[in-house]
Amino acid sequence: MLEGRTQSLCPVCLRLVDAAYMRTGNTVSLHKTCPEHGAFCVPIWNEKEGMPRFGTWRQRARIPAYPTHPATEIQEGCPFDCGLCPEHAQHTCTGLIEVTQRCSLRCPVCFASAERTGSDPSLTTIAQQMDALFRASGTCNIQLSGGEPTEREDIVTIIAMAAERGFGLVQLNTNGMRLGKESGYAERLRQAGLDSVYLQLDALDDEVCLALRGRHCLKEKLAAVHACQKAGLGVVLVCTLVQGINDSLLGDLLRWAVEQGPHVRGLHIQPVSSFGRFPWDLKNAPRITLPDIMTSLEKQSAGMVHASDFHPPSCEHALCSFSAVYTRTQEGLSSPLGSSCCSGGSNMTSAAVDNAEGSRISRAFTATHWRAPSAHAQKENQPASAVQDAFSRFLAQSGAAQRFTLSAMAFQDAVTLDVERVRGCCIHVVARDGRLIPFCAYNLTSLEGVSLYRSQA
Amino acid sequence: MALDPEFKPDHGDWYCTSCDVPLQQQKVQVLYMNSAFDVILPRCPECGLTMIPESLANGKMAEVEALLEDK
Repeated sequence: MLEGRTQSLCPVCLRLVDAAYMRTGNTVSLHKTCPEHGAFCVPIWNEKEGMPRFGTWRQRARIPAYPTHPATEIQEGCPFDCGLCPEHAQHTCTGLIEVTQRCSLRCPVCFASAERTGSDPSLTTIAQQMDALFRASGTCNIQLSGGEPTEREDIVTIIAMAAERGFGLVQLNTNGMRLGKESGYAERLRQAGLDSVYLQLDALDDEVCLALRGRHCLKEKLAAVHACQKAGLGVVLVCTLVQGINDSLLGDLLRWAVEQGPHVRGLHIQPVSSFGRFPWDLKNAPRITLPDIMTSLEKQSAGMVHASDFHPPSCEHALCSFSAVYTRTQEGLSSPLGSSCCSGGSNMTSAAVDNAEGSRISRAFTATHWRAPSAHAQKENQPASAVQDAFSRFLAQSGAAQRFTLSAMAFQDAVTLDVERVRGCCIHVVARDGRLIPFCAYNLTSLEGVSLYRSQA
Repeated sequence: MALDPEFKPDHGDWYCTSCDVPLQQQKVQVLYMNSAFDVILPRCPECGLTMIPESLANGKMAEVEALLEDK
């Protein structure tokens, strides 16, 4: 049964092809055919019992938010003209700058195909990238990525450069090795202006580390979490999820994350994508869809979270993510905030989403919730009974300090790519020439390893 | 429960120009994204026009709004 139409790419030659979402039983798959390389089909939505329906989740209308000053013209159409082009339908929530191609690990799975050695852009180039991002997207959030950013000795300078430009949130995407090993390092980064650490942690199991990161490194990662807590840095734990490797360990990771206290701001799950370096054939890659993750979280969390808690994003395309925000309690997590409100749940088909407003909210949400709780927020932690007006009571009970965000984002590879999703993307990589490229388009590689953007950018 | 503290105008005496009557401190319910907050605000006793003091709008209310707006 046809569930929707879009466009995609042939995963072999990367030409634009028509595509359709087709339902077979409880699974909705993306189907497409290249005149030269044949038919391709991949599951996108495994709709198990109790999980949200694909059609309801996907089809909420959007009012596009086009770039105020597009950097490129439309020549070949989406996704070949990224920069952003005049037809890109969403503003930047987070801009990524890859400050190095080097990494201290050589993970079997790496979207950036990072190696132990490689080139680094100069500080002048990075400054120009930051300025280009600020011109295009103002005070959006910025993530310093790589490779492994802490491989650079001047990362402190780069963090300070980002902080002084006034981006909403300065975040570091890291494997945590250096943070976990070097005493005082987290404090140095904090003092330079870092707000948040996007810390890669797949499971509390060293064998999972070996499988996905190429070595045992759990000890260093846990030490990194504690170092960030000590330094007053907000931590978002980022789990790459792979079927048969760590998908049965999500509940343990969630419970542990909640137990760490307010500096661990949330858990963000990324089902593994097949771009960059990955150890399987792209056509037969392991696939975990968003409702599969919802099911696992519900089953493995012993009632702490439920699939009905989750709602589609207000910023990026609905098929790209889900999230819920909870308040920490002594027992674990409370019911999610806003679960019955217009941001999701049963009301989500009602009004059209204004992308500009969705982008503003998401950007502000990330900046507020992914940094360490401020001294001010900590002050709000006094007993609710001691505060008298309704606004203060709400701030005391539900303030940012007690919040925990649980989210997942499904990236697109050459098989799963949906042009509509690319056009609605709000996570933009800043290329060295200053163009802004949607994250999945930037990282996409064909079955033959040909890159759509990364190698030329 | 103790009476909720009032949010009074930041300065001056305020009138409703439509009804030509002074605003009074009244209990009102502020609604946003399925949350309700009972507070005491300056309000026109005739037409119900309610004033939100600037300090409240830019302070606690803005904080609450940001926290209610989910990602």
